[in-house]
Amino acid sequence: MRPIYRALGIAAGLLLAGLGSAQAATEIEFWHAMSGALGERVEELVKKFNESQKDFVVKPVAKGNYDEVLNATIAAYRAKRQPEIVQSNERSFLTMVNSGAIVPTSELMAQQGHPIDVSKFIAPVVSYYAMDGKLQAMPFNSSTPILFYNRDHFKAAGFDKPGATWQELEPQLDAIKAKGVSKCAMVLPGDYEWSFLENYSAVNDIPYATKRNGMDGLDTTFVFNKGKLVGQVERMKRLVSSGVMQIAGQGIIPTQLFTSGECSSIIASTAAHAAVVAAAKFDWSAAELPYEQGVTPKNSVIGGAALWTLKGHTPEKYKAVAAFYDFLAKTDTQVWWHQATGYVPVTTAAYEAAKAQGYYQKNPTREIAVLQLMRGTPSDNSLGFRIGNSNQINVAIMEEVSAAFLGKKPVQQALDDAATRGNESLRRYEQLNAGKK
Amino acid sequence: MPGRSSTPALSVAAGGGGLRLRQPFRRLFIRGAGGASAESGLKRAHFREWRLPVWLLAPQLFILLLFFFIPSARALIQAFQLTDPFGATVKWVGFQNFERLFSSSVYWSSARVTVIFTLAQNVLTLSFALLFAFASNHILRGRGAYRTVLLLPYAIAPAIAGIMLAFLFNPRVGPVAHMLQGLGLDWDPNRNSWHALALVVMAASWKHICYNYIFLVAALLAVPQSILEAANIDGAGPIQRFLRISMPMIAPTLFFLIVINFVYGLFETFAIIDATTRGGPAGATSILVYKVYQDGFVTLDLGSSAAQSVVLMALALLLTFAQFRFVERRVNYNV
Repeated sequence: MRPIYRALGIAAGLLLAGLGSAQAATEIEFWHAMSGALGERVEELVKKFNESQKDFVVKPVAKGNYDEVLNATIAAYRAKRQPEIVQSNERSFLTMVNSGAIVPTSELMAQQGHPIDVSKFIAPVVSYYAMDGKLQAMPFNSSTPILFYNRDHFKAAGFDKPGATWQELEPQLDAIKAKGVSKCAMVLPGDYEWSFLENYSAVNDIPYATKRNGMDGLDTTFVFNKGKLVGQVERMKRLVSSGVMQIAGQGIIPTQLFTSGECSSIIASTAAHAAVVAAAKFDWSAAELPYEQGVTPKNSVIGGAALWTLKGHTPEKYKAVAAFYDFLAKTDTQVWWHQATGYVPVTTAAYEAAKAQGYYQKNPTREIAVLQLMRGTPSDNSLGFRIGNSNQINVAIMEEVSAAFLGKKPVQQALDDAATRGNESLRRYEQLNAGKK
Repeated sequence: MPGRSSTPALSVAAGGGGLRLRQPFRRLFIRGAGGASAESGLKRAHFREWRLPVWLLAPQLFILLLFFFIPSARALIQAFQLTDPFGATVKWVGFQNFERLFSSSVYWSSARVTVIFTLAQNVLTLSFALLFAFASNHILRGRGAYRTVLLLPYAIAPAIAGIMLAFLFNPRVGPVAHMLQGLGLDWDPNRNSWHALALVVMAASWKHICYNYIFLVAALLAVPQSILEAANIDGAGPIQRFLRISMPMIAPTLFFLIVINFVYGLFETFAIIDATTRGGPAGATSILVYKVYQDGFVTLDLGSSAAQSVVLMALALLLTFAQFRFVERRVNYNV
């Protein structure tokens, strides 16, 4: 036999052997909504898992943003071609739980011999993703909003740092604009219903909806139009109309206006760290969310997403899913993920480990979100939000609030309309899901 | 009569020349009695036997079945249901979705926005296309180059066009927005609904002017030179010739384009709206078709979205009927 044939024969043999071993590993699909730098981190994370063992292979598939992933999942589920794991954002909780399409994470993990100890997770994460003490989804990328600011701008206006309360912060923002330090003292984030409305209610301990914001049943109703939140929206409107707070609008991401140095501050998810670190060419820092004067601030609530396991797969596949979740919950994985992305560690152990490494001494802004989430004991108003038809309601609330910004209607009127529209959606959800939680 | 709709479109598309069948194909047809002109003969021709036409129609019918009839039937069913997005729970709710729709002020304001948007878009598109067609017909040097440049926007995907315009007119970073602000206009489509509406009208028209332009150029070329020359000798200037002779003679094309522009504005501008304003601010640019998408795919309100598409479908039928019934009467095809 000529050497070349022998070489080819060996190569073919190796290839077959390779295929053989690939077939032995159980492959599962993981649909996610992370793009850009975060998308790369997800790829890395999955690679770490795939290389850590030989039995399972996770295949990550980017399916667009959260809405698009959910739509793709729905279409796939209806066509019986659903993936094993799908990432869905925190406000889709009830949609997912009541879909009849998921395997609760606690159940799955117990069956596969990796029982989950809920007490290991940080409280705001558990209260969001657990029902009756059982995790319904695997907490994955959890964040919370914090205040990023341009220290150069604040100094130029004569301030060391932003005030802790809105009463202190507002005049600072006005001054930055008035003194001509920057034309845009703050930029309104795209997800302001989360950072400026929901989190405002949690931090200042005011009810957003009855029944502990929906935690105690589907017969919840919105009451955000009856309290301090009206003042918060009035404040936002004043800041927007005076040009102190700018709306980025289509064509540009609000965070970019901050990192480019155009706007002096932004209230954004702690996951914005990745973008800020990469792009900000000025002295920046971050602070906790501002709150109302005279209030003892409560914990903020999480955003981000969790991983949901879909029904209709073989036991081997679920074994792979459980192994992947087990890997995710490991302290090492959590610490790496936290530091690589800016999301918070979802377990207390991971936070302690990062602290023990001295990570927060070097990166103090990374700790803000964790401290803010773990601040005090969660009250009925800061446990989280369990709202049915949340996508509809979100759009309705933002539409009404921006109608107030535009001056189309007074703030109180806008919030009343938002509550009415929201309550109609809640009642429809109750009608459809009668008898469920 | 909907059946006649294809004729003007067809003859316009073929540059006004009508269709000429080649000899072998003629054998398949029986000539109607007394077919005087080529056109009326074509109308009355029919196939000798049924199998061939069925085969010829089959691919199109199959596509229609897959992408029109089945989805329409499902939309019709879903319009009377309340559905969990995953399909786990389905409840029949009668006309609840429709009642909700017609009692919602948001829906009516969306309808109002749609009317303004479609009319403005139609007027803007047609007048610019006419202007360009008239002008490029009167330019001798580099006519081809002008035409190519005028046709270019048609090759740009709506999403790209939308994002580009959103960026150019972004009040913070857009160069055009800065120019407008320099002129003393407080341009901000994020805080002013009229600015936002103007922006999407501009984006939609910009994308569609070239489509109108192609048809108008072809129609203008088909205007008999002899009549124009005769008018010229009688002392009519270029603008007068255009308004008095060319315009009436291209009326069928204009009518066709008006119908097409309405259809475009009502049903095909979704991508542009999504990329330019996402229906905002506060629903100021949320036209009906965008609302169908938003309620169906973003907010997962499937019942309402289905009810809305049923309403839109009815509206489309009504509109087409009305246009052919009332507007077409004023158009003379026998020129």
